[in-house]
Amino acid sequence: MFKKNYRQDNAMAYTMLLPILALLTIFVIIPFVYAACVSFYNWSFYQDSTFVGFRNYYLVLTDRLFGKSVWTGLKFALMVVPSMLILSFLFANLIKNIGSKMGSFVKTAIYIPTIISGIVASVIFVFIYDYTGGLANYVLGLFGTEPKAWLADVGSALPSVAAPAIWLGFGLTSLIMLAGLYDIPESYYEAADLEGAGAFKKMWYITIPLLRNVILYLLVTGFTAQISQYELSLVMTGGGPLDATTTPNLYIFNHFRNDVMVGNSIAASLLLFVVLGAISAIIFRVLNSEKAVDG
Amino acid sequence: MQKSSSIPKVLLTVISGLVALVALFPLIWVVIAGFKGKAEVLATPFRFFPKVWLAENYAEILKDPVFTKAMAVTFGGAVLFAALTLFVNASAAYVFARLEFRFKRLLWVYVIMTMFVPAMSILLTSFIVVNKLGMLDTLAVLVLPGVASAGQMFFIRQFYLNIPLALEEAALIDGAGRFRIFTSIFVPMSFPVFVIVGIGAYLGYWNSFVWPTMTITNPDLFQIMQYLYNFRSERGSEMGLLMAGSALAAAPTLILFLIFQRYIIAGIKISGLK
Repeated sequence: MFKKNYRQDNAMAYTMLLPILALLTIFVIIPFVYAACVSFYNWSFYQDSTFVGFRNYYLVLTDRLFGKSVWTGLKFALMVVPSMLILSFLFANLIKNIGSKMGSFVKTAIYIPTIISGIVASVIFVFIYDYTGGLANYVLGLFGTEPKAWLADVGSALPSVAAPAIWLGFGLTSLIMLAGLYDIPESYYEAADLEGAGAFKKMWYITIPLLRNVILYLLVTGFTAQISQYELSLVMTGGGPLDATTTPNLYIFNHFRNDVMVGNSIAASLLLFVVLGAISAIIFRVLNSEKAVDG
Repeated sequence: MQKSSSIPKVLLTVISGLVALVALFPLIWVVIAGFKGKAEVLATPFRFFPKVWLAENYAEILKDPVFTKAMAVTFGGAVLFAALTLFVNASAAYVFARLEFRFKRLLWVYVIMTMFVPAMSILLTSFIVVNKLGMLDTLAVLVLPGVASAGQMFFIRQFYLNIPLALEEAALIDGAGRFRIFTSIFVPMSFPVFVIVGIGAYLGYWNSFVWPTMTITNPDLFQIMQYLYNFRSERGSEMGLLMAGSALAAAPTLILFLIFQRYIIAGIKISGLK
């Protein structure tokens, strides 16, 4: 980045960088360093803190509920991400093959849920799941099935929270896939046509391999985003029933609200940071490298 | 895939239309449910449309001064937030894209590093910091902490790297300062990228509720999602009102999106993978 003999503009550069540097330092770096320190202390709002070394980390890692929340987060991500990707992939192929007028209407329509807040989505879905007057049980009723307590049943609560997550994320994923599809040269398909390849073969040997980067990107970002999801469970179920919808971030958030000692929850959030931060750092490196552009 | 497919195009069009409807359905439903009478919202048997269309829920929620104030304050805050986000991140993006200066590499790493800090790990300590700074219950606590964003900066910088150098060389020879070049050449060319970043910032602000719930207790500064969250926990049984409130809370975002949708959907291509 440094070139000798190139005019340097130190003063102007620092002046224009000042706002971003100051804001990031105050609102990201200091809180982060602070959090790292607090995680080694027996810290609370109301008393002097004492240094406890790795005890907080030990407590978190041995807390059965934390382990359970990580497992819940994994299950949640596994419910949301693969189904969302498969649906988006199929749907992006579909949009590509319909007329452009209908196509732009459909693109707008599926993108709209993306801009809806987690709160509004939660409110809507809580109504849909309502036991007596909700849509979900009405549909079950049409098939002659008994109504279900969707959000109150340990077995169905997590999938019921996963549904709005898919609803919220499906549009953007489809549109990114579609952008990837448009980048595949049409000539590849024409060549395949000449060889007499069917639709399935073209998808398997051309589309999927050439979309590999896009799919990988969506897979990893989707996974980190979904495992960090907590707003939906917070509003829809509060983490219940029996912690069945307590994702790792909700576990941490609930501890912030209810515990006097916060060292534990901060240690937990830093442990997650190591894992999620590492994942996003890897994606960033891959995407920022020249190789990714060539596929 | 311009193919001689066995599946006729009409069928594909019908299917995609149906998917679009399914995607929109929950939103349409909440708007319609807002028109139902108090007893009818969750009445059995289930009915999609109200027996009589009543505007009472919408009228009543609009009469609640806390609600209308929250809408106005959140909108104002979101616009301010988006403007500041653009200013702070675009100037940094320009500096990193074009200027040479001491410690460039180091400062770049310093800024980019913050992208990998998950919000949850600094949620509580950020609260302690703003508390120590005496920022609780002010507009500043809602707006300032999220303004600087390495991700947004990076996105704008990628856009600036693609602007040809030739455009500014003439200006440099004429002796124009770097800041002037930024405001008179780069900013006017940034419209498409500013729309995407600006709307993204607006959305992030408008939809946030955890941070406002932690830092704002003064009803004059309540944020709209915070209002809905409180409403749901305190008056959750008044479902018609909650539906109407949710529909109204989604409205400004929807309108904004529909105005700028062309740029946003094109932006997905830019942001996609390069």
